[in-house]
Amino acid sequence: MQTNDDKEPRQQPEAGSEPTRIDPRLLEILVCPLTKTTLEYDAARQELISRAARLAYPIRDGIPIMLPEEARPLEDEAIAR
Amino acid sequence: MDFPRFFRSAFAGCGARRFSTAEMRVIAYSPLPNRQGSLPLETRMTRPRPGDDDETDFGFTRVPLQDKQARVDAVFHKVASRYDLMNDLMSAGMHRVWKDLFTAQIRPPRNAPYHHLDVAGGTGDIAFRIAQAGSPRTEVTVLDINGDMLEVGRERAQKRGLAERLTFVEANAEDLPFPDRTFDSYTIAFGIRNVPRIPRALSEAFRVLKRGGRFLCLEFSHVDVPGFDRLYESYSFKAIPLIGQAVTGDADSYRYLVESIRKFPDADLFADMIAEAGFSRVSFTRLSGGIVAIHSGWKL
Repeated sequence: MQTNDDKEPRQQPEAGSEPTRIDPRLLEILVCPLTKTTLEYDAARQELISRAARLAYPIRDGIPIMLPEEARPLEDEAIAR
Repeated sequence: MDFPRFFRSAFAGCGARRFSTAEMRVIAYSPLPNRQGSLPLETRMTRPRPGDDDETDFGFTRVPLQDKQARVDAVFHKVASRYDLMNDLMSAGMHRVWKDLFTAQIRPPRNAPYHHLDVAGGTGDIAFRIAQAGSPRTEVTVLDINGDMLEVGRERAQKRGLAERLTFVEANAEDLPFPDRTFDSYTIAFGIRNVPRIPRALSEAFRVLKRGGRFLCLEFSHVDVPGFDRLYESYSFKAIPLIGQAVTGDADSYRYLVESIRKFPDADLFADMIAEAGFSRVSFTRLSGGIVAIHSGWKL
């Protein structure tokens, strides 16, 4: 699910442990806190994308951060993609 | 989040509080996105509703509504590491008893799926009790606005072998990131007092519960036993900030806790607020002479 573990600077697992991934059960239920619409999971960037709110919510160390003030505003081309 | 719970009463009579330097820094910078501070943005504040005004209580100080979350966050970030120790010291261990009584209200089935949401539950105190009472088909989602608290909770879950039954989400009780009718039950323990707009959090709780779902809240309340009330008063306003100072070096955060307890509505009024959010069969039980109360409601 996660493809760029080694490039993720925030994820520095202690020796012997894997970086923590988001629980698939959460991926099934989470919606955008502002619009309550479904999200897309970007495994490479570790983000949950709300097209309706034009926000990308970060996942840090496996914990989704569903706070608009922590989210990255989406550029137009990312939405069109 | 357990923590502010004990602090409220301490300096209630002292009027305006002063902020520590660290807190002032957080407040001054509040428009900046700050992972640690989880600061609120205009986006969360642009939907004024009837009954909302522009200010809310931060302990005994009136603060602009959008500042409250930042200030509350600052309190919890400062105390996260010694949270449990402080809870034990301040409540003389009673917080464990209250939490046991509280979570005993939730009885997950032994052989059917069950999904519980614990809001403001970062360190996992409530979630672990419910997960343990359930079966492998019980899932408890822990939600907190404070990432530090969630980290503490997740580490503990792994140590206790409960990680399989728990999921962790950083989010705001006022804007839950779940669809309607998702959960069988909802708890918030010593957390709702710190939510800037309580009616909005209650509406969100109602929304995400299934029909037949249960809402439960454990929160500080008001002591109504003659004699004991004065004792409690002086303990909370004098002793708690001193304990906070000794253990965490931070009396201000504990002063906030005490003040915020005093500002929270009494049990009757809070029950009315729960009913207004749509819940049925709303009831409450006072514990320890009213130091805390358990409120219950059903989505029918």
